[in-house]
Amino acid sequence: MMQKLPKYRSQMRIYVDIMRVIQRENNRAKPTRILYGANLSHDRLVKYLEELKGLGVIEEVGGGDDERFYRLTQKGIEFLNEFRSVERFAEAFGFVL
Amino acid sequence: MEFIAFAIALAIAYQAFKGYRIAQQRTLLYVHFSFALLSAGLLIDSLAGFLGLLARVLKFALALTLVGYMIYFITQLLAYSLLIYAYVSQAKSGTTPSASLVLIATPGLVALQATQDSVIRLFAPLVEYHPISEIVLLFLVLYITVQTSINYSATKDRNAFLVFLGFLLLTFSHLLFLLMPFSALLFVLGHMLQLLGFISLLAMLLRVTKIT
Repeated sequence: MMQKLPKYRSQMRIYVDIMRVIQRENNRAKPTRILYGANLSHDRLVKYLEELKGLGVIEEVGGGDDERFYRLTQKGIEFLNEFRSVERFAEAFGFVL
Repeated sequence: MEFIAFAIALAIAYQAFKGYRIAQQRTLLYVHFSFALLSAGLLIDSLAGFLGLLARVLKFALALTLVGYMIYFITQLLAYSLLIYAYVSQAKSGTTPSASLVLIATPGLVALQATQDSVIRLFAPLVEYHPISEIVLLFLVLYITVQTSINYSATKDRNAFLVFLGFLLLTFSHLLFLLMPFSALLFVLGHMLQLLGFISLLAMLLRVTKIT
């Protein structure tokens, strides 16, 4: 398609990117991996992780900085599946989410 | 046949709205309203046709069918325009698709030329079958078909193909409706192609929802 990705990612797109990085890391992703995988600055990553925790789609596990990792909750896994379905629907028409 | 098409259009409208709620993407809202309008038009037209058949002996039968056609025409006009707006607004944030302005302008010019003769001709397409109304719809749905064909040629995705096929069949159905005065059979064939178009869209819908 001639359409290209939008210049800026929407908040929803960033949420999904973060959650997909966690999923890719076998549902056990350290903050550094998410930071690089989702292409975010440290400040924005902290902000979005807090928001996602607040939404109940991810949870923080482990105490110290070295041991801390994030994983998807059941709600998060279900949301990602729903989002994939919506993404396929939009792509079938040629729309980019 | 139109009632089945109505149910399919409604299902697509529902999926688009569900998508909008999840992804917060405005283009999906346009798709929702577009198919919601199409489904409303199909329902009204099929009901009017059915009631028209029932009340054939009464005088209002013809008026009922004409009102149904008028509403169906307006809903299709709005629905296809909304989908085109969705493509154009997305293209603005990306790259501009070629030939889009030509395709949008053409039905407008055709309609303008046709309305020069008299005011009656201006309103004729709204109240009864008129080639102009079908030409306008044909060009609108052709634009969408071109967009979906570009999408399919770029992605080679089976779902994109089903959407392209759906709109291609709808384009041919409008072409047959346009040629309806030559043979009543074309009217029936047009409706069959329309239904096949919606079935193709239903196949896509079932595929994307089956993933989860």
